[in-house]
Amino acid sequence: MTGSRAPAFASDLAALISSREAELVDIPVIQPADQFLDMAGEDLRRRIFLTENENGQSLCLRPEFTIPVCRNHIELNAATPKRYAYLGEVFRQRREGGNEFFQAGIEDLGDANRARADVRSLSDAIASIRLVAPKAELETLLGDQAIFEAVLAALGLPRGWQKKLARAFGNPGQLKSLLADLSSNQKNGSLPERLAALVSASDEAGLATELEQDMQAAGISPGAGRSPTEIARRLIEKANLASVKLPAQAFAALETFLAIRVPLQSASSHLRNFSKTNEFDLGPALDQFEARVVAVREAGIEQENIVYDAAFGRPLDYYTGLVYETRALNHLELGAIVGGGRYDRLLTMLGAVDSIPGVGFSIWLDRLEKIAP
Amino acid sequence: MTITLALPSKGRLKEQALEVLEKAGLKVVMPKDQRNYRAQVEGDSKIDILFLSASEIARELGYGSVDLGVTGEDLIRETLSAADERVQIEARLGFGHADVVVAVPEVWYDVSTMADLDDVAAEYRQRHGRRLRIATKYWRLTQQFFSQMHGIQVYRIVESLGATEGAPASGSADIIVDITSTGSTLQANHLKVLEDGIILKSEACLVSSRQSADPAAVAALAQRIQAALASS
Repeated sequence: MTGSRAPAFASDLAALISSREAELVDIPVIQPADQFLDMAGEDLRRRIFLTENENGQSLCLRPEFTIPVCRNHIELNAATPKRYAYLGEVFRQRREGGNEFFQAGIEDLGDANRARADVRSLSDAIASIRLVAPKAELETLLGDQAIFEAVLAALGLPRGWQKKLARAFGNPGQLKSLLADLSSNQKNGSLPERLAALVSASDEAGLATELEQDMQAAGISPGAGRSPTEIARRLIEKANLASVKLPAQAFAALETFLAIRVPLQSASSHLRNFSKTNEFDLGPALDQFEARVVAVREAGIEQENIVYDAAFGRPLDYYTGLVYETRALNHLELGAIVGGGRYDRLLTMLGAVDSIPGVGFSIWLDRLEKIAP
Repeated sequence: MTITLALPSKGRLKEQALEVLEKAGLKVVMPKDQRNYRAQVEGDSKIDILFLSASEIARELGYGSVDLGVTGEDLIRETLSAADERVQIEARLGFGHADVVVAVPEVWYDVSTMADLDDVAAEYRQRHGRRLRIATKYWRLTQQFFSQMHGIQVYRIVESLGATEGAPASGSADIIVDITSTGSTLQANHLKVLEDGIILKSEACLVSSRQSADPAAVAALAQRIQAALASS
């Protein structure tokens, strides 16, 4: 399965990842495209190789492994916990570099002990790099979506704002412009008189009735997409938010938080000081974070230059907790050699009946090859 | 050596393009056979005229198989990736005006900006079991505007090749990205344009390919047309 174009170390790497209690799976190269566009967004469309079958179904060349590995798990109705390893080619349109390259990784599904599974993922990822580049100077950036969300909750922001900011996690530009927006007022657009009165009376039911009539007049089925109640609720929510302003103190606390960038081994005390100064309770998110730091020490990888960066994240809605990437300090131009993270929402989104936690990583073999001695 | 100038093959766009050329002293001698898609300029054997559909003109300019062309900016930016590296807009011709816009049902009174749409898109799957759907034939422009400019990642594009404005009522999509010139078709379909939902203000343009084999001749012809536009 590794083919002749795979780097020379591919079979050793495959042996390493499959020796870590993971079943090596074979995923078809041609995949239905919808699952990727649905999960990772339309932005992927210009970067994958799309085609159609005779029936007009969109197909693509495998652009990554995580989604098809999880889909495969759901379709087989396999028991959890379960660990899958893979090594194979992926295909993406890139402006620089080739369009075909190899990825390898492990997806760890259904382990309820999240701290342990997180650290196992980190250790496996770093061990994979060390197999090929034992002396490379590495830096692993570690972020945590759950901590960020806990800080947003502790700031006492309205729910709508929390969700908005949480979505921009890991996208500094967007986060900045959102914060600027939130410090100023937001308003509803001009509303017809009859609706404005219902909004200011917070009459959700009355508003929904009016909206339903409007929908029927416009020929839009009130059951097909956004419902009258959903629109009514958001109108009232927006009207209430318009009078709230982000207090300067909350703004400053958030900025302090986002600037935290410390070695992982001192991150727990840093976060605890931060929450103490601001009188925040970060609750289970901080407990989870601390358990993970302890597990890193127990796994014996604390010497691996792991840095907690409070602002590091991935703006995709299936990531829920840990995110990390490892780079080579002498080859920063390569970007991440490995990227990993926890995606507790992904399996449900892909159709799993029960909620299945998951964490995984992916190695870019072409980049790994470049840092090999 | 001759250079090829591609013109829209039918309708108002064709007539108006021919008028612009005439102002620049370039009289196109139409072929005797109306089905012939090639023509010449009176008294100038160095220019070949080729009639193509407006979207083909955009594509051929990208390949460099025609040197100059008249087509809409919307088609240039939709058809070509990295358009500015492959072609250059030489002149805006003042006709064929159309805006590429994001339009949502009027009844979405709570949605007036892209930021509102971001909120709606983010929660869509949780509420309705699928992503927000956008009907459009402009998937590249849509994706650039939503994903890159506004950071909205979670939505699906439903390709629509005609009567896009009808998609929300027919249930095949929730919102649309389409061209509008007067807004009357949107209004008739109970759709409204978002306040910051204008993706592109498009009009017919004279466009040159950066891969032309004879850039000097292309520049001379472009200048001649620019001069005629400036003096009119």
